[in-house]
Amino acid sequence: MTKDVMNRNAKDNDYLHKDFHGALSAGLIYLEERFGANAVREYLWQFAKAYYAPLTDDVNRRGLVALRDHFQKIYTLEQAIFTLALSENELILNLEACPAVMHIQAKGYPLSPRFYETCKTVNQALCDETPFAFELVTYEPATGQSIQKFYRRSPKP
Amino acid sequence: MISCTEFIPAYSELFKFLEARGGKPMVYDFWNYLSDAFLGNLRDLVAQNGIRGCWLYWSHTLNEEAADFTMELDEEKGEFQILMHHCPSKGRLLKEKHLTAYRDYCEHCDVLYRRVLEPMGYECSLDRSQCDRAKCCFMVKSTKK
Repeated sequence: MTKDVMNRNAKDNDYLHKDFHGALSAGLIYLEERFGANAVREYLWQFAKAYYAPLTDDVNRRGLVALRDHFQKIYTLEQAIFTLALSENELILNLEACPAVMHIQAKGYPLSPRFYETCKTVNQALCDETPFAFELVTYEPATGQSIQKFYRRSPKP
Repeated sequence: MISCTEFIPAYSELFKFLEARGGKPMVYDFWNYLSDAFLGNLRDLVAQNGIRGCWLYWSHTLNEEAADFTMELDEEKGEFQILMHHCPSKGRLLKEKHLTAYRDYCEHCDVLYRRVLEPMGYECSLDRSQCDRAKCCFMVKSTKK
């Protein structure tokens, strides 16, 4: 019997492993089971404040354009159907279905009932210490379909 | 949404969060939970295909993760090996300028996969001596005579 050998360089493939969404969902379920729903929010807040610190800095420099560029990049990468509407004081993200939720559902991974916090808490943390705030206007848990609004706390006169 | 391309920092930060809550035992508890809850596909592939199930499982995941690796399967000897030349996950964490990786980040691979494979009759070893350079070697050997 011959030996099977597979050699790959990083450049041979694109980095897109959607099963990670399932692992994140499992992590949120674990947190809620062990520590309660607040722990899910605390963890996501801490993560977002730490990881997205450069993005928050960019929001303070460039305003909502920085958030538009961020969401344009990640939702395009994840092949989502979405629109982004940017005005001076508002950015509206209209997401037809969340690629993370759809992948979790398609693969049969457990979907955390707090998965919406990956939008709500994370985006609130992104806006913390900036002139902007976040509102999750609508959210459909089974698909992640949502309307997400970033807006200036006190609109410029 | 946290993109799947941003998951690894989220994962590493979760380990830190759990350790702050309950020490290292809490991190182990989570890894055991994740292995049981999330690695059913590895378990099924090995149950159906023997050690080739490892080849099938990691052929999928390592290609999607754009890893730099050499993978070998010798079914006659009952041996499977991943020589990771550059782990995309640890590599990503080492590259982040504003975040530090969880101290024992690479240990999760050892705990998660060992927990699936050892009860199925396979011996696992993970050489983490070069993890600080995003390199490792994972070996699985059949213990069946």
